[in-house]
Amino acid sequence: MSHLTPSGDRPVSDRDDPPRRVKVGVGDLAVSSDGAVLTTSGLGSCVAIALVDPATEIRGLLHAMLPSADGDERRTPRPAKYVDSGLDTLVDELETSGASPGRLEARLVGGAEMLDLTAAVGPRNVERARESLAAAGIPLVASDVGDAVGRTVRFLPGGDLAVRAADGFERTL
Amino acid sequence: MRVDVRALGACNRLAERGAERAANALGELTGSDLAVEVTGASVATGEDLAEAFSGRESIGVRVGLDGGLEGAAVLAFDAEQIDGLLSVLPGGSSMGRSAVTEVGNIALGGFLDGWANYLGRAIDMTPPRYFEADGAAVLPDGALAGDGVFLFESRLDATGTDLDFSIYMLPDSGPFRDLVVGKTATAATAGAEGARGSAAGANATAVPYESLSTFASLAKRGSANAADNIGMMTGLETTVDVSRLRFVPLADVPSEVGTEPHAGTVFELQGKPSGYLAILFSEESAAAIAEEMLPMEPNEPLGGMAENALCELGNVMTSGFIDGWANVLGTSISHSPPEFVHDIGSATVSPLVASLSRRQDYGFVIDAAIRTEGVQARCDVYALPDERELAAALERLSET
Repeated sequence: MSHLTPSGDRPVSDRDDPPRRVKVGVGDLAVSSDGAVLTTSGLGSCVAIALVDPATEIRGLLHAMLPSADGDERRTPRPAKYVDSGLDTLVDELETSGASPGRLEARLVGGAEMLDLTAAVGPRNVERARESLAAAGIPLVASDVGDAVGRTVRFLPGGDLAVRAADGFERTL
Repeated sequence: MRVDVRALGACNRLAERGAERAANALGELTGSDLAVEVTGASVATGEDLAEAFSGRESIGVRVGLDGGLEGAAVLAFDAEQIDGLLSVLPGGSSMGRSAVTEVGNIALGGFLDGWANYLGRAIDMTPPRYFEADGAAVLPDGALAGDGVFLFESRLDATGTDLDFSIYMLPDSGPFRDLVVGKTATAATAGAEGARGSAAGANATAVPYESLSTFASLAKRGSANAADNIGMMTGLETTVDVSRLRFVPLADVPSEVGTEPHAGTVFELQGKPSGYLAILFSEESAAAIAEEMLPMEPNEPLGGMAENALCELGNVMTSGFIDGWANVLGTSISHSPPEFVHDIGSATVSPLVASLSRRQDYGFVIDAAIRTEGVQARCDVYALPDERELAAALERLSET
């Protein structure tokens, strides 16, 4: 579980050390307006959506497990568990932190078909992410999705998204 | 007396909040970023705990609890990590024992504040007592007596420094039982208010309190059977290192598996309960055990031949595992053919977690580390049953 939850109540560090690293857990999200590196690891069928407002460099990262909160049987589902509700929450959090929703741009990673047993989850997550971003009017500027490979991402202060695949291949989106 | 297994999930959330407070308190003291990696609630017998902690040396502090919660809590560092801890503390290694006591006091205070806050009742803590302990002696007094104790465990990870530690809390069973049952009543009310909730729905995960100790035997019987089957298949002496059943947030399972590359097999379980089972080896262990099973050295360590060997091994382990369950629960369970996996560990289990998490937020994870003698190979077994079906099976068991 990430220590920066949607309520975002963790005190901000004011040390001059290398950029703070904030881990985003599964079904969780985090926003940084202080230059922290947001990381999430072990993306299999899950997707990571990274949003940045280039003017303010305020960034947010979501690690969602399932496409849609529709049909969740619980009364209070965790919004970041789902692509659609997670994206809504992330945009709200970014706006609260001072980002302009109209300037946001998106990068999308993950959605692998890791297992035949559960093959449909990854592609459905990717599809829903594209639909939700389009509906929110947020341009998707880069993506690295699909295949059958796990990925780890680091969302860097300038807005670059460094992706490392399980086979060692690295790229920056 | 009936307990909703989801109430154990609610208690788990308490432990999680407490652990976050502890992390923040300690982070401020040491100037490091600490994150709560895993929080789990387990039901284990004294015997299981003694086995699980055997060979470990711990240093830490223990406190007694009174008020909102009664019992004992312990904060423990692995003895090997103590130098790393002292190096990040003000005063450095000259502080030794008093530094550990101070850190323990602050972190445990934070942890218990989280619980007290949620319970709306203060928890009194006795002054911390420093200890150095071998094996299960680290656990709060009373953990090894009786059968089926609750143990809350949190592991915190420092992102900048090597500073992992665990907090174990053992609530006295009487008052804690009341707390769990109180949460059960809350869960039932919440279910009745929910759109689809009904009394029947809220009870779908309720089991008699006495059945909880059966959970512990599920973990034990399953992994012992799996180990026996490996032994029969490979001729290698095989032992089960750790075997516990824990309640954890499903979302924590991937980070528990970790980001190292793993190889192994995944199965879908059909029957009562259904669910998934993943058997994961480190790459080195996977290659070593596959080579041992093959008549000749394979061309590549984790190529096609090794894949076949690991699938075969997975098959016999899984059938042993679920036979053990079926015996305990008196149900029949079958499994899909093995699916070979070789990737980042957490990425491998995330689709299984995703698939279950539409219906449940918490999972019962069975950890079993199975070790073979002679060949350096160990694996972790993650069994993820459907919680309602498991509760139903336990319920039927108690009626017979």
